Amino acid sequence: MSAAAYRRPRRLPLLAAAVGLLAAAGLASAGAAAARQADERVAPLLYLPTGRYLKAAAMGFDAILADVLYLWSIQYYSNYRIEDRYRYLEHIYRDVITELDPRYIDPYLVGALIMTAEARQPEMALRLLDKGIEHNPADWILPFEAGYVCYNEIRDYARAARYFEIALRSPDVHPAVRRFHAEMYNRAGDPRTSLREWASIWETTGDPYVRAVAWNHVHDLRVEVDITTLREAIARFVAARGRRPARLEDLVAAGTIDALPADPDGGAYAYDPARGTVAYRGSRVLGR
Amino acid sequence: MPGRILAIALNTFREAIRNRVLYLLLVFAAALILCAQAVSLMTVGSEDKIIKDFGLATIDIFGVLTSVLLGIGLVSREIERRTVYVLLAKPIHRAEFVLGKYFGLALTLLVNTAVMTAWFFGVLVAKGIADAGLARAIVLLFMQFLLITALAILFSCLSNPIVSCVLTLALYVVGHLLWSFDLLKARLTSVGARRLCTVLEAVLPDLSHFDVKGRAVHGLPVTACDMGFALGYLALYGTAVLLMACAAFQRREMQ
Repeated sequence: MSAAAYRRPRRLPLLAAAVGLLAAAGLASAGAAAARQADERVAPLLYLPTGRYLKAAAMGFDAILADVLYLWSIQYYSNYRIEDRYRYLEHIYRDVITELDPRYIDPYLVGALIMTAEARQPEMALRLLDKGIEHNPADWILPFEAGYVCYNEIRDYARAARYFEIALRSPDVHPAVRRFHAEMYNRAGDPRTSLREWASIWETTGDPYVRAVAWNHVHDLRVEVDITTLREAIARFVAARGRRPARLEDLVAAGTIDALPADPDGGAYAYDPARGTVAYRGSRVLGR
Repeated sequence: MPGRILAIALNTFREAIRNRVLYLLLVFAAALILCAQAVSLMTVGSEDKIIKDFGLATIDIFGVLTSVLLGIGLVSREIERRTVYVLLAKPIHRAEFVLGKYFGLALTLLVNTAVMTAWFFGVLVAKGIADAGLARAIVLLFMQFLLITALAILFSCLSNPIVSCVLTLALYVVGHLLWSFDLLKARLTSVGARRLCTVLEAVLPDLSHFDVKGRAVHGLPVTACDMGFALGYLALYGTAVLLMACAAFQRREMQ
């Protein structure tokens, strides 16, 4: 073949065709992605196996798989277009992510936050946090979070106090947890225990601000506890003698009470013998 | 004899570091460790865990890939290219050849792991989250690479690179799933089948001894006892596999 007869194949049409085909493929792919996005449903999550099976498939890479699923879950639950996105919420966090890496604290906290603040399912959040507490007994943030859910969402203060007590067993616990713990007893209707806890904070803290806050609580709780003690003593006195005491000192004389409590200012509580009521002469600091 | 093994080992090392696959793997590993920083920005909560998880997983995956991809061809490629005849014509025992190849690749892996670890710790120090426990986890991963290399060389002595690759990767997978034999045994009713499971559990390599990535990332202790046990297991199992590789190569017909 002569040199003139031989013509090198022209590359430009081939390259142009390749670019055209790539552009068409890219456009088709983008169109399909947009259609998928418009039709997002929770159904694909049905096929996400539990962490037990994923752990087997992960072959030692369970921690990084947990990371990836956690990152995905944050994006997924931030997508408000998926209306039924909370349907498998517990499955994702309790059965998958935290099953793959039970010591990973963040998914417990974020999962519980989504369950309470978004899905309005505080009991589900508590189940997730209970699992976290079981696997991370030295950590204080999980029982604190559970206590906060009980306090703020369910308003079950006795349950909240139990969670805060678990948090307090951790040596690294934040000092604020003690205050939550002390206050929960008061809200649960046990001012005596609450007073004991607040008094302990007031005596032991080195922080002037915390000491001042604790004193406010000690002040009001002491008034409440003293007045309750005196009312109970008056009731016992009435039951035994058939009349009200003329003075509070009569309660001590009759052996109904060992000694009369002084109010937080060092004075005596006011007693109205006509009505049998006891009152504090000062004013309560917290105004409750 | 050690001198001859050393000479083959150094030659294998020189050959391995000329292999482009090694550099490709290293570049990918370095890129992935860097990418972890970007990925960690998407999280809510601690970024540290994600950076550490990504780093350790990258070292694990790329170390295993290096062991397998370089290990499977170490012996069989020498036979294919007929370069083995030049060596075996000299006063070299076949076992020395196998051991030299193994230690050469072990040295390559040591350098490879050291480079990835230095890069990983560079990122950790820059973020102020470096932790000595992670170094222990990487030492254990290196022990795992040594065991996988021994397996790759055994299969390389027995078969061609593709079959060796499949078998080595299969043992890697099985090695991380040995715990599932307990689940299987609980479901089996036949005593014979349960015994077979027990035997397989003992015979197959248990790679979970070398995997403390999760513990290291969560700051849980990786004790000297853990390290000692893994080293002892590697010494026993690795030596057994290398002896089998030597035996297989000694019986191999050269045409």
